[in-house]
Amino acid sequence: MGRNQIVSTALVALVALAVGFLLAGQVKAQLQGSPSNQVERNQALIRSVQDLERDNGADRAKIAALRADIDALEAQAASQSQSTKALQNQVADLRAHAGLTAMHGPGVEVDLTSGPPGTDAGGQDRNLVTFEDVQDIVNLLFAMGAEGVAVSGRRITPLSAYSGSEGEVIIDQGPPLFSPIRIVAVGDRNLMEAALNDPTSLPSLRVRQVQFELTLVVTGAPNESLPAYDAGLEAPHVSSVQ
Amino acid sequence: MAVWLIALLVALVATVQLRSQAEVERTLATADPATLAFSIDQLHRANDALEAQIGVLTQRKAALQSGGGPAADQALQDEAEQLRIIEGLVAVHGPGVVVVIDATGLSALDLEDALNNLAAGGGEALAVNDQRYVVSVPVTQTAGGVTVGGTLVPAPWTIVAIGDTTRLGETADLMTQQLRGDRRVRQASYRVEADIVIRSVVSEKPFVYAEP
Repeated sequence: MGRNQIVSTALVALVALAVGFLLAGQVKAQLQGSPSNQVERNQALIRSVQDLERDNGADRAKIAALRADIDALEAQAASQSQSTKALQNQVADLRAHAGLTAMHGPGVEVDLTSGPPGTDAGGQDRNLVTFEDVQDIVNLLFAMGAEGVAVSGRRITPLSAYSGSEGEVIIDQGPPLFSPIRIVAVGDRNLMEAALNDPTSLPSLRVRQVQFELTLVVTGAPNESLPAYDAGLEAPHVSSVQ
Repeated sequence: MAVWLIALLVALVATVQLRSQAEVERTLATADPATLAFSIDQLHRANDALEAQIGVLTQRKAALQSGGGPAADQALQDEAEQLRIIEGLVAVHGPGVVVVIDATGLSALDLEDALNNLAAGGGEALAVNDQRYVVSVPVTQTAGGVTVGGTLVPAPWTIVAIGDTTRLGETADLMTQQLRGDRRVRQASYRVEADIVIRSVVSEKPFVYAEP
């Protein structure tokens, strides 16, 4: 290969690289929408949400790390004392029931997806998955004996609460979740599957499945895994009655 | 040949980059300003709570590091007590609100919504007609009416929630206003109390299917 050929090949490669990046930048700018004030305001709000979500993720990672450190220190103390060991076992059981430790076992997965945009001609967004839908499914699973539940990777605790607006699901101190939502439960697989497939359960969802094409897919599995809860779990205003 | 390979690589990198970017922004980009503002408010509150939890855990870790065995016993006892409260295993007391709802035809779903509203509004311990409630306690519709943990809770419902009275008061106010607009509801009121006692507890259930 001559020197000229090498130079021209390198030149063409450089041009291709530049064109690729230009193209990427252009399409990205298109994705971000037209430069109207409203769009810019929305973009600013989106950036704020993304910044807060990053902080949220970092804080939750820090909490998980601190809990692991505390576990290790307690285990070290427990190895030197029988009474500490007994206490540690009690706390381990309580933590497991509170959702503070990961667990696995037979169970079900529920995949919940919003209907296509525009399917609610009334403009009330009834095609969207809501926090009430998630709440209803989780409550049904617990009523059917679920021993642990997680929603899109967020573990449910005895104090969990749901909120949100228009297709947004917020659980406890986690970031907003959007469709598709995956709910995973460990427990009596047959009982949970039967309840979820019962056409008389989850009435609001069943109607919107037909009218607005929301989808609810239930799958049983022999071994589901649930992560540990990774946010704050305190009851500072409550004391036990002595 | 090399040029085509590079061009292909560039196109691939650009596509992957664009797809991942679009994926991240897909859900937020379709959200309206009200939803985004709600998310910002929720995330601020959530992040404050997470910071507070980090403070508590950092102190606990420092105490364990400096105190050895006795500090571990104390930390474990404190955590056990806190978790028994959270799981509804012991009788509790504290400041909170008492919400009374008298209605005909309200269902288990209505009660679950009310309990969730109070939990989201800062409720740390809840009970309905003296039946303790935590998330794993089933609220069920039966032929005889609504049950909480298997016990019938006929109207009127007296829901107590212990927690931050400022937040709970705001939540209860909003909730009762909305309920009064419901034709099925005869009466919906609330009061803030300095010390509420919940004596009922949840039965501890050992795991049958789950393993750590």
